[in-house]
Amino acid sequence: MTPQLKRREFLTLSAAATGGLMIGVLPSATGEATVTNLADENGGLLNQFIMIGIDNKVVLFNHRPEMGQGTFASMPMILAEELDVEISKVEVRQSDADDERYGSQNVVGSRSVQTEYSNLRKMGAAARHMLITAAAAKWGVPAGECTTEKGEVTHGSGMRLGYGELVAEAAKLKAPENPTLKDPSTFTIIGKSIRRQDIPSKTTGKAVYGMDVQVPGMKYATIEHCPVWLGKVVKYDSATALKIPGVTHVEKTTRTVWGRTVEGVAVIADNFWAALKAKKILRVEWDTVGLESISTETLKKKFMDESSRPGDVLHGQGDTEKVFTGGAEIIEARYELPYQAHVPMEPMNAIVNVSESGAEFWGSTQNPNGIRSFLMRKYNLKKDQVKINYTFMGGGFGRRSMTDVVEEAADLSSLLKVPIKLIWTREEDQTQGPFRNCSLNVCRAVLTRDGTVEALEHKIVAQEIQNQGGDEMKAGRQLMGGVTTAYAIPNVSIRGVLQKLHIPISYWRAVYHSTNPFAHESFIDELAIKAGKDSLSFRQAMLKDHARWSNVLGEFERVSGWRAGKKPGTGRGMAICERSGAHFAMQVEVRRENGRIVPVRVVTAIDVGTCINPDTVMAQVEGSVMMGLGAVYAGLTVNKGRIVEQNFDKYQMIRFNQTPEFVTHIVASSAAPDGAGEAGLPTIAPAFANAIYDLTGRRVRKLPMTTADLT
Amino acid sequence: MPAITLVVNGERRTADVAPDMPLLWVLRDYFGLTGTKFSCGIAQCGSCTVHLDGMPVRSCNLPVSAVGGKSVTTIEGLSVNGDHPVQRAWVEEQVPQCGFCQSGQIMAAAALLKKNSTPSEKEIADAMSPILCRCGTYPRIRKAVQRAITLAKS
Repeated sequence: MTPQLKRREFLTLSAAATGGLMIGVLPSATGEATVTNLADENGGLLNQFIMIGIDNKVVLFNHRPEMGQGTFASMPMILAEELDVEISKVEVRQSDADDERYGSQNVVGSRSVQTEYSNLRKMGAAARHMLITAAAAKWGVPAGECTTEKGEVTHGSGMRLGYGELVAEAAKLKAPENPTLKDPSTFTIIGKSIRRQDIPSKTTGKAVYGMDVQVPGMKYATIEHCPVWLGKVVKYDSATALKIPGVTHVEKTTRTVWGRTVEGVAVIADNFWAALKAKKILRVEWDTVGLESISTETLKKKFMDESSRPGDVLHGQGDTEKVFTGGAEIIEARYELPYQAHVPMEPMNAIVNVSESGAEFWGSTQNPNGIRSFLMRKYNLKKDQVKINYTFMGGGFGRRSMTDVVEEAADLSSLLKVPIKLIWTREEDQTQGPFRNCSLNVCRAVLTRDGTVEALEHKIVAQEIQNQGGDEMKAGRQLMGGVTTAYAIPNVSIRGVLQKLHIPISYWRAVYHSTNPFAHESFIDELAIKAGKDSLSFRQAMLKDHARWSNVLGEFERVSGWRAGKKPGTGRGMAICERSGAHFAMQVEVRRENGRIVPVRVVTAIDVGTCINPDTVMAQVEGSVMMGLGAVYAGLTVNKGRIVEQNFDKYQMIRFNQTPEFVTHIVASSAAPDGAGEAGLPTIAPAFANAIYDLTGRRVRKLPMTTADLT
Repeated sequence: MPAITLVVNGERRTADVAPDMPLLWVLRDYFGLTGTKFSCGIAQCGSCTVHLDGMPVRSCNLPVSAVGGKSVTTIEGLSVNGDHPVQRAWVEEQVPQCGFCQSGQIMAAAALLKKNSTPSEKEIADAMSPILCRCGTYPRIRKAVQRAITLAKS
């Protein structure tokens, strides 16, 4: 059944497009969306949609929240390409939150372009087809004699009409459900860098983030959580806190993280500063009995002990055990990675108003549909009683796909009957998680006499995001993300030893691709060295029958200058990975500056399939590498059940003066687009470690790297 | 509480706030100038950078009572039309990703160029390194500062 576009919204939109043409897509049972338009009597609901006005303006309602990943450029580019209008004529507006209409709006896993590419092309092509049909009818010529050029329909005779002059007639036609799409070789917009429409407002302070929204009558809140996870509130001093002018309430709160209840104490005030001051004097007494024994050292011991378990086979071929018990030399290496915090620069926050008539949310989220579902469930509301207003995000990196902070704000609003603007402090953000998982990776291999890999085992000892509670102790395939299985190795076994801890973890940019490749690609390098082979040739030999990897490595070889050898006084290393479909190979060049080893140049060859906006892909690679490099230098330490690094004074974030030069080469491709939002992050740590080995002969197998590692 | 008067972006503004309230919260929650951001609250990230008589300061731990008669400039007051050479350079180099830290980045760069129209690479690094960006836009900031230097001359 097709849900109906609400009458109010319909009228608003129609008014905006007076006499204009609206085109949208409808989902179908087969999953392949078809195009439709409001001219249909029963068209009712348009899913994703565009409007073309009599003023020639095209409006695209982008239903993917923007957190810096560049949908404000890529989405209109795809549309403009098929519609044949100048990109400057397409205005992007953020849509509302409605998964029935738009499908998933969750911005995770670099999916926006991948999933919208086909729909946006179809909408553009359908509208173009209808405009041509309308023009042909007006001119009394066959449609086949007409074409389009930058927002106009043209005819060989010299006649031409702007789209705006045709929309009224075009809107009376039925949209073709599956219009003919352009041959990608004729693309003129896709593949050429354009500027993002959201950037000017981000240079003037006008861009609105969740934290910037003000709602009439709202109160401010901040929350003290137990520094030891799952600690329970015993008592707190609300009397002293309430003496601070502006503080009106002190309330216990709960939030749910992966099924576990986390307690806190909230201060509610008329201004945020009063709430912040009161938070510091709450003197909360926590019950942490049995929760304080965990530390980085105990975790390491537990992971090491359990690494002797065979674990669960996540991927395999051949018979590794047979090779390992055959008497040949077994090469073994262990790699360790710490917990990481997401650290969006905008600390977690939410504004929620829960009233008798419904609930409303304002804020920055990667998951508007999830917030709507949560509020509906929690307060027993119907869909149209919940309104979600989402803004730009001040970073997400996975953290903003959760709804736990919304839950706290909603509960306080429901209790106090006012809109609540809850802002977490950086300390809460940093210490509460959920975190990027820590892991121990045990890699073993046997080489043949001529230096090829005969058998390889990679055992991952880690927590699994989707399996943090309950009794299920079998590791799932999610755990092996980022392990390159394309290498032609006859005997392979990728294993998981599932860890269950009460420390919460969640999706962090690139997820397991942010941990496993450090081990896997470092180990491949160790094997190449052991075999006496060049790092690139060693990989190329194992990927020669893989067309896509062969091509990427060939391009990498060319742009990196690998064969020319390294410059005096430098070291270099490489690594490869596939993430969200994107295939990339990276070279890191290091040298000593003021006695410290630093990465000076990062060269990446990346195949993202059809590249929509090259400048955005390059920006994503740069940003991913910087975030990955940050995770090479810093990590979270656990002591007595709590995170030691509570703010940026202890957690050393990567800074401007640690920035290498970048060369990012986008490999030409006409395949469907892959996700580029995390590309580059998986490879920086192993390529850097491999380069350090190349410079010093020392192998770094543990992150974060220490001063000694970098000297 | 006695009202506190400030000169912000050339205008006299008054707020009834506690004297220890950091300037950041007065700007954001009382004057509606939300371009200046809160991120760490301990002057370690620079998202809250504003100018005090042209000097870059972290507003998150600067008590409003300490501002006195000094002139406060926020990102909203850096230029009338968003066309300060640093802002133009930031657009031309397509610097922002999420954009949250960029007010601080731009205010830091603008303060640097006001003081020193031809900064060395080291001077640029010293001025820009205090401002954190989690999206990792540093390579573009580096280019944009250079471009702003050129734009400011023309």
